[in-house]
Amino acid sequence: MPNQNGSVYGLTILSPILVDEKVVPSHDLQIRQYLATLPTGAGSPFAKSLGTHLCRLVVMDDVVYVGAPSIEEHLESKYLIFECNLDATGEEGLESYLRGLAENMPDQLDAIWSHCVGYPGAANVSGFIQYMKACQIETTFFFAAVNNKSVTESLRALQTQQAVADFIASHQGVEASRLQAEFVEFAAKLKAEPLPKPGSMGPKRDLKMGGRNE
Amino acid sequence: MSKLNETDIQGFVLRGYNLLFARYFFLHFEDAARARRLIERLLPSITTGQRWDSGKPQSTVNIAFTHRGLAAFELPAATMISFPVEFQQGMRARASILGDTGRNAPEHWDELWREGRVHAWLGVNGLTPAALDARSAELRKLIDETQGAIVLDWQDAAGQIVDGRATAKEHFGYTDGFGNPDYLGVERSSQPGQGKLMPDGSWAPLATGELLLGYADEAGELPVAPIPHILASNGTFMAYRKLHQNLATFRNYLDEKGNLYGGGKEKLAAKFVGRWRDGTPLELSPDGENSAVVKDPNRNTNFTYGTDAEGTRCPIGAHMRRVHPRDAFGFNGKLIDRRRITRRGLPYGPFASEEEEVSDSDDRGIVFMALNASLSRQFEFVQQQWIEYGNDAHQGNDKDMLLGNHGGSGKFVVQGDRSAANPPFVCSKLPNFVELRGGDYFFLPSITALEMIAMKLVDPR
Repeated sequence: MPNQNGSVYGLTILSPILVDEKVVPSHDLQIRQYLATLPTGAGSPFAKSLGTHLCRLVVMDDVVYVGAPSIEEHLESKYLIFECNLDATGEEGLESYLRGLAENMPDQLDAIWSHCVGYPGAANVSGFIQYMKACQIETTFFFAAVNNKSVTESLRALQTQQAVADFIASHQGVEASRLQAEFVEFAAKLKAEPLPKPGSMGPKRDLKMGGRNE
Repeated sequence: MSKLNETDIQGFVLRGYNLLFARYFFLHFEDAARARRLIERLLPSITTGQRWDSGKPQSTVNIAFTHRGLAAFELPAATMISFPVEFQQGMRARASILGDTGRNAPEHWDELWREGRVHAWLGVNGLTPAALDARSAELRKLIDETQGAIVLDWQDAAGQIVDGRATAKEHFGYTDGFGNPDYLGVERSSQPGQGKLMPDGSWAPLATGELLLGYADEAGELPVAPIPHILASNGTFMAYRKLHQNLATFRNYLDEKGNLYGGGKEKLAAKFVGRWRDGTPLELSPDGENSAVVKDPNRNTNFTYGTDAEGTRCPIGAHMRRVHPRDAFGFNGKLIDRRRITRRGLPYGPFASEEEEVSDSDDRGIVFMALNASLSRQFEFVQQQWIEYGNDAHQGNDKDMLLGNHGGSGKFVVQGDRSAANPPFVCSKLPNFVELRGGDYFFLPSITALEMIAMKLVDPR
């Protein structure tokens, strides 16, 4: 089924970018400039509302002509692409996620999408939801980092995994009754721990990855 | 493919010489004309890949250049910028990609490697110390006569001799040097487990282009190579890394954890690497050393991990399983065929018996040299993804137990079963057992390319 993989929803939105020769710099450049300064990870506005596994915003200028024998073709417009893996089931779930975005990050949404054709503004929540859905295209295949697990479940699992691994490493060879007592105490403490912030559980490493080296 | 022209390829590329005494000179060129004259005079001495039908020579000579070294010959700019980016940058500039940070960061390297003046590696191997000295003296004389280069420094390395017999032991006590890959067209006595895994479970040689420039690689493509083609063809790239070994730290850690581990100290040592210290693969003999297996070329590299998916025999994060995962990632091993490297190298510094007092500050380690057609796709990938990271092996952020740049944190999980002699175990608070002391990326040209460099005939047009 398109758009859905278990409890994870794959969203793809293509929004045509405004063309106005009087606007300097052009709308697409303004989106690029804004996106370049938008924080990622735990500081991302998308981390404010629970439910975003990962998302990406891209400005698509045109199709690239790669030389003969291909035919030179052009898009009718530049597009803003929004790709997102989120926790939702079906249309109702998607609408509730979009409502969450409009409520949690209206300023950022407006700064980005106000350069797109027909954007009603995030303050008009039902208009915003309708607009995003009108720009949606079917997502037939998307990156499944976690299958059927919500962001909350994933964060809790990562927290638990790390804590349990540390507990095991520091309790090897400990006498059974003490081990049990300390495990009971550990489990209770872990249960009471607050949920880690979205984007905060990424690896802390000083290895430079990405590009052709990954 | 047709047979390779072994007379055009440096012997160091095609085979491990198994000559246990080595001296690696590091040269700096001051004048292009004099440097060319040196190469011209050196050429008849360069050991090629020709077979040694009349027995091993007393000594061998090979040469390789850094990008700065090639620039010193005043090669055309169009050629210089056609080399792969990582080679142009050199290993020091790649530190953040390789995880050479913290104690392994370039600021802690030997002065030789911090200065960035190394232009060439001149590698000499000898059958005996006397043969090595004699050949080294000849080369020094040649360098003096031609004034072709300054010898900045040199590195001696030697295998361990016990009772007059050569061993393949490194300082931590492991038998090293099993299993370099086989390549199509390279004549050597191959053994199962050394090439690529085929769907029927047999092993076949890797495409020549995984080792040599100018030939198709495992993707059917020509590796990225400098122009003109004839400069690159039959050449390869080398990563040279001087790896210091903290022997006292290793022994103390193994003693401490070996006491806690139900399988005992020697088994834990075997779990670190995937082989018992005599070289027996854990996959073939999980309960103890077996010298019959070690000595049998049909068995000592002939195994897969498919029936040990849980890592109860060989841990999933064991050094050997990380750097050569064979079938461990599924797809009949297809995912690793473009990540293989050929290893050369020898230990340096005094060997210490188990009873001998040792210190981390003793100057001992291993000179590690990796040969491959693409430094970024092969050596750098293995170093970054399989040594300094654990995701491909489903080991999260865990690094290679022995080589990882742990800095006192990190862990290594020994998977186990319910038996008392093979329990699961976690090694945590890992120190750096190995530290990088320097090195660089080198281009090992063909004989033809060396001649072109010497005669100033490199023409990219």
